Amino acid sequence: MSVAAPDRARRNTELALLILAILLAVGAYALVGLGLEGKVPVGLAGYGMLLVGGYVFAHLVVRWLAPQADPVFLPTAVLLAGLGFAIIYRLDPGLAGAQTLWLLLGLGLFALTLVAIRDHRQLDHFTYTIGLLGIIMLLLPLAPGIGRTVRGARLWVGIGPLQFQPAEIGKVLLVIFLASYLNARKELLAVATRRLGPLALPEPRHLAPLLVAWGLSLVVLFLERDLGSSLLFFGIFVVMLWVATGRAAYLVLGVLLFAIGATFGYLAFDHVQDRVTVWLNVFDPRLIRDEGFQLAQSLFAMATGGIAGTGLGEGQPGFIPDAHTDFVFAAVGEELGLLGTIALLLLYVLLIFRGYRAAVGSPDGFGQLLAAGLSTILALQTFVIIGGVTRLIPLTGITLPFVSYGGSSLVANMVLLALLVRVSSGAVGRPAEDADSTMFVRAARERGG
Amino acid sequence: MPPFVLTVLKIVLLLLLYFFVWRAVRAVVLDLYGGRVRERRARPAEPRPKRGRSRGAPSKVVVLNADGGRVSTHRLTGTIQIGRGTNCDIRPDDTYVSQMHARISNRNGAWVVEDLGSTNGTYLNQRKVTGPTGISPGDRIRVGKTVVEVRR
Repeated sequence: MSVAAPDRARRNTELALLILAILLAVGAYALVGLGLEGKVPVGLAGYGMLLVGGYVFAHLVVRWLAPQADPVFLPTAVLLAGLGFAIIYRLDPGLAGAQTLWLLLGLGLFALTLVAIRDHRQLDHFTYTIGLLGIIMLLLPLAPGIGRTVRGARLWVGIGPLQFQPAEIGKVLLVIFLASYLNARKELLAVATRRLGPLALPEPRHLAPLLVAWGLSLVVLFLERDLGSSLLFFGIFVVMLWVATGRAAYLVLGVLLFAIGATFGYLAFDHVQDRVTVWLNVFDPRLIRDEGFQLAQSLFAMATGGIAGTGLGEGQPGFIPDAHTDFVFAAVGEELGLLGTIALLLLYVLLIFRGYRAAVGSPDGFGQLLAAGLSTILALQTFVIIGGVTRLIPLTGITLPFVSYGGSSLVANMVLLALLVRVSSGAVGRPAEDADSTMFVRAARERGG
Repeated sequence: MPPFVLTVLKIVLLLLLYFFVWRAVRAVVLDLYGGRVRERRARPAEPRPKRGRSRGAPSKVVVLNADGGRVSTHRLTGTIQIGRGTNCDIRPDDTYVSQMHARISNRNGAWVVEDLGSTNGTYLNQRKVTGPTGISPGDRIRVGKTVVEVRR
């Protein structure tokens, strides 16, 4: 009974938003040039055409292969990537070429994912293969010979001149694995047999996966010294367990385990202690020139920006070390001000909200968990890095999705986006089987909607 | 480039950024409440349900999707089952509709609608249906996001 007209309306909405996003991306880039050198950057036409080509191509692929998909995903991601590109060009024009290539590669993989995966349930058949691949990706930097340590964290893999962070794609693979694994076991995990004070717990053996995930994230913390990924993996796992079972007890238990892990990490590692010390005493004269320099500069930059910012190309975000990766949010704060950063946050809220909406709308438990997990990646990552940069929480190095410079992150996020588009498209036109839904969605539907 | 022009351009960029956010939010709102917004707007044009009783017996129902588009028309000859189950007469393409959602049937010459224990409930003119309730032309039965309009 599905009619073609609403599909077309959705795709036209997407196209209209996309045109606006491209206008904004190219406009921001042109403004950077005007602010920096007083003229429009030389590469504007070429860059604009490449981008427009890539984006329109991605849109046509969605129109062709996922006509019922949510119209908000692609344009929002395009706008985030476009703003990120402008800021990266502004910070270091030498990186712009590479970022363009990564962006085009990401769009190519976006299309490829939609072509290869016509129905997200295809992925449900390869539970353990995908899980194994995910863990390999996560632990690959530890392999002797190819693993590389960059600034204390061992999370790079290098083959010749090529370098990438396998954990970026690893997190997407792990979410697919978890969605499939938890979907098959959601009933078992939802049954409570033991009580621990106010907490109703399931059978201890069913708790094993939670403990394994906890152990794995501690391994990442120990051996790769990567606080951000460790936090991200454990967070994703706890949230997905909660969605699968609808039991808040897992959330409470997860927070407890996290608190234990965090305390342990704090006591065991100097670099974790440093982060906390800097977080609490960033303006301490003994720290501000040393460990606290980056965070202090980030705060100064955002303070300089004020309400409307200095204008693109007119601030001094170059003072912040690594402004193009982890601290890109501070650079936006300086040059586009509070208004610019709020807009950026709203874009993330939109993207993540639509991701969870796709989860609730998906007729099968696997799709629900997949979309919820992928949205949680975006949500946690955005929260952790923006919270760190604004000194709400201790800083953990992680990229800002779609905006930060970095090939691995951008490419992985484009694949993530394609999967969200796929789930949101499959949500329409296939009858929902309530029996197959996750407990969380079942409870939500019973409450009415 | 004078600083004044740059400031104006910056403000234009920020405004455009918020314009994008606004358009995107609008697309989302239309998706979430599209059906309901239109339903509310269409209300004043309809006759009041209470008075509708005297205007004769209903003879057919029209199924409208969430966007208000007409999907199908069914004549009221016998009992009509609404739901996504295969044995239903009206099978809306709507995830908020249960397998066996509601039934329209004739009881002693009067047409009534009743809920069959659906997850999200059945609404007659925005009121939740708890037992068999009489329907008359102009009434709107909502199941999930789908609206079934009673016509003369």
